[in-house]
Amino acid sequence: MIDDKIKNKFIDITGKDRFLDRIEELVSYSYDAFTEEVLPDAVIFPETAKEVCHIMKTASMYKIPVTARGAGTSICGAPVPAKKGIVICFSRMDRIIEINTRDRYIIVQPGVINADIQKALAPFNFFYPPDPGSMSVSTIGGNIAQNAGGPRCLKYGVTMDYILGMEVVLGTGKKVRFGSRNVKDVTGYKLASLFCGSEGTLGIITKAILKVVPIPEAVRTVMVSFDNLDNTARAVADIIGSGIIPAAVELMDQFTLNAIEDAAGLGLDRQAKGTLLIEIDGIREACDREMQLIIRKLKQNYATGIKEAASGSERENLWTARRSAYGVFAKLAPDIISEDVTVPVTKVPEMIRKIIEITEKYGLKAGILAHAGDGNMHPMIPTDRQNKEEWERVKSAFGEIFQAAADLGGTLSGEHGIGFAKSEYLPLVMNRDTIELMQTIKKAVDPDLILNPGKFV
Amino acid sequence: MKTHNIQNCGKCGLCLSVCPVYAQIKQEQVSPRAKLRLIKAFRNKNIESSALLKDIMSKCLMCGSCTAACPSGIDHFAWFMDMRSDMKKSQGQSPAIKSLIHLLGREYRIRFSAGLAKAGRKVIPDRFADSYKLGSIPIRKFPRFNEIPLRRSAGSCISPNGKKQGKLVYFTGCATNYLYEDTGNAVIGVLKHMGYEIIIPEGQTCCSIPILFHGAPDKAFKNIRANIKALAIEDAEAVIVDCPTCGYALEHEYPRFMENNSLDSEPACTIASKTVHILNFIDKHFNLLEFNKKFTRKIRISYHAPCHTKNNNQAHLRIERLLKKLEFADYRPTSDADVCCGGGGTFFYEFASISHKMAMEKIKNAKAVNPRFWLTDCPVCRMNLAGTMDDDKGCPELTHPVSFIYSGLKQK
Repeated sequence: MIDDKIKNKFIDITGKDRFLDRIEELVSYSYDAFTEEVLPDAVIFPETAKEVCHIMKTASMYKIPVTARGAGTSICGAPVPAKKGIVICFSRMDRIIEINTRDRYIIVQPGVINADIQKALAPFNFFYPPDPGSMSVSTIGGNIAQNAGGPRCLKYGVTMDYILGMEVVLGTGKKVRFGSRNVKDVTGYKLASLFCGSEGTLGIITKAILKVVPIPEAVRTVMVSFDNLDNTARAVADIIGSGIIPAAVELMDQFTLNAIEDAAGLGLDRQAKGTLLIEIDGIREACDREMQLIIRKLKQNYATGIKEAASGSERENLWTARRSAYGVFAKLAPDIISEDVTVPVTKVPEMIRKIIEITEKYGLKAGILAHAGDGNMHPMIPTDRQNKEEWERVKSAFGEIFQAAADLGGTLSGEHGIGFAKSEYLPLVMNRDTIELMQTIKKAVDPDLILNPGKFV
Repeated sequence: MKTHNIQNCGKCGLCLSVCPVYAQIKQEQVSPRAKLRLIKAFRNKNIESSALLKDIMSKCLMCGSCTAACPSGIDHFAWFMDMRSDMKKSQGQSPAIKSLIHLLGREYRIRFSAGLAKAGRKVIPDRFADSYKLGSIPIRKFPRFNEIPLRRSAGSCISPNGKKQGKLVYFTGCATNYLYEDTGNAVIGVLKHMGYEIIIPEGQTCCSIPILFHGAPDKAFKNIRANIKALAIEDAEAVIVDCPTCGYALEHEYPRFMENNSLDSEPACTIASKTVHILNFIDKHFNLLEFNKKFTRKIRISYHAPCHTKNNNQAHLRIERLLKKLEFADYRPTSDADVCCGGGGTFFYEFASISHKMAMEKIKNAKAVNPRFWLTDCPVCRMNLAGTMDDDKGCPELTHPVSFIYSGLKQK
């Protein structure tokens, strides 16, 4: 609970309408798409960076935890206020400040929705590549805080690769700015890489300058079936290994594909043990040539069916299906745990075998879904947390999956983040000194430890 | 009963991207995801009934966009209707909504009030009508009541022009019966022209969706049973509706309602399988239409897709295709044809300022296209958009697509 005196200080900053603390409202800010929930003490909606500074100054004066939130679509609990306190929601700072495609950048407030950026850029024939599954609703502030990825990051890179500059309010209420409108900029530390992916533990993003790129002339999308998951995974490693970099290579196993088909009814190949959704883009002639090579590689790996999307709407359907996978799985059981281990692409076949072996060992049914081209695996396990015994098995299975990924030179999370979910596994991929370095940075930037406390650092 | 199902909301948040109310308010508690979470908390007794909880549950247009977008297949309508019913029991209902439910619960009451209101409109001084608003809409901009209710003026059995193609039942809905006779006359005119005999059963009444959406299933009971009885005409090949919400009621709510109350759902299911939106019917039998070829200039039209049309398997796309087929029309889409207008049953009354903002945005985008007619197949959208529009010259006229199509037919 925040006492009335402090509460009034916050209300002085934003007014009553933008400060919520009734139970019905707090319940609505206690969650993201992860399973853990914690009620905040209050929710506040700033409209300017100056208000954010005042909020942080007040919070720091009274040592009140502050957790930033965009649309609450994270699946690692990042915006869940683990230690209660204040949730700062950025839904009212949702303006695109500048679009400059001649200099190839845009300037946005943190509450802008990813899809709205795409919409605003489309008339200029430009786009912003990072495309997390939640892009129709997730905000750019959240994308940056989580260093969000997405299918086409295989070719285009992740959120971090698109940040030119930022404005960030620190725990003390000080406002810092770094980077610039320039693609080349080595003036001082590359501070963006510190805050991007910090999951709100180092500062509150209030503005970002992002790089944007022209929409490629041609896009081609194929859906490929295999009668064997091993061949599916090998085809991926083979295509990438041959030097072609498609925009996206998405892998789905039979369980996942059928769950999607049940929900969407797109006429996907239900018999296929493994499927790939492959997309290439670029200059038309280059696409033709690349597609020939890809098809050759697919055939060499015994693809049983190759079907190209004939129209824009067919392509859109395939992607809608792929993006709905998480929600589709949610239908299967009360809880859905989606993991995010990532391995070098040559290790994808082995990692998939490991995941199957481990989940079978624990008597669990897993759907295997992966941004396979960059080794980013999303095994999904439908479960029920109320079932204590099963939940223990789920936890053990994921522990072993993390270990297996680490053994293969992989990592815990490719794009979802650590949040609540995976902090205990950090030692698998980071030694003690490295974790200590993160803690040293955290203390230096946020001495009162009020920014998103209770998470991975 | 359905707690299991609600747990299956993965809280992915995709519903936030399509919810028109969330887009305006920008606070999570009004989002479909939060409403489900709050219903779960309420059912589990983690939170109690409160005025705020009721208010949150009411801040919903019942447009169904969340359900259409939900990858987990959650039936938001069912959850929200149940919850609204609980909120009504524990928190009461505003007098205006209460009397609306009371009114719509019996046909004679609707008829009586329509008559009374019609008389009232004649004696209300214009000055009063100019300066008073009901919700977001000025009184003077509400549609005039039909001189005689459509069902009475049209009669219960209408013979076709020329060779008989078949027999249809027409469910007029309240709006067409009491307010928009132009829609009803056009439906009848088009179907006659196509060669159909039209039965307008006398026993039909309000489809009950407004009653159900306001959480009063008990009050809807008599209406639903009366309609099922009235519409069960064996040799009719289809039950025609002109309002997508009435259509939704007949197609989805009636069978479910009967099942939930452990009643024989067979007749309701038969009616559901026969229910066809007039525009789909026209599209399917387009070859039966003979248009007047002698038009001097194409008429520019645009279309606003009602939520209950859009969220019924994207039916608005078919309507847009139909409108494009009309040779005498110059169809111009608006940039936001499928965005909600904010009318939402009584939403324009309960949350006037939000609704007004939404309608103004729609009107701005329609004016940019500058059509002569702005077509929409939902009477509430029509009332809301026409009522919100200012009186500038050159504003598009709101009407039902069927009226526009009828105007282009060759007189037989």
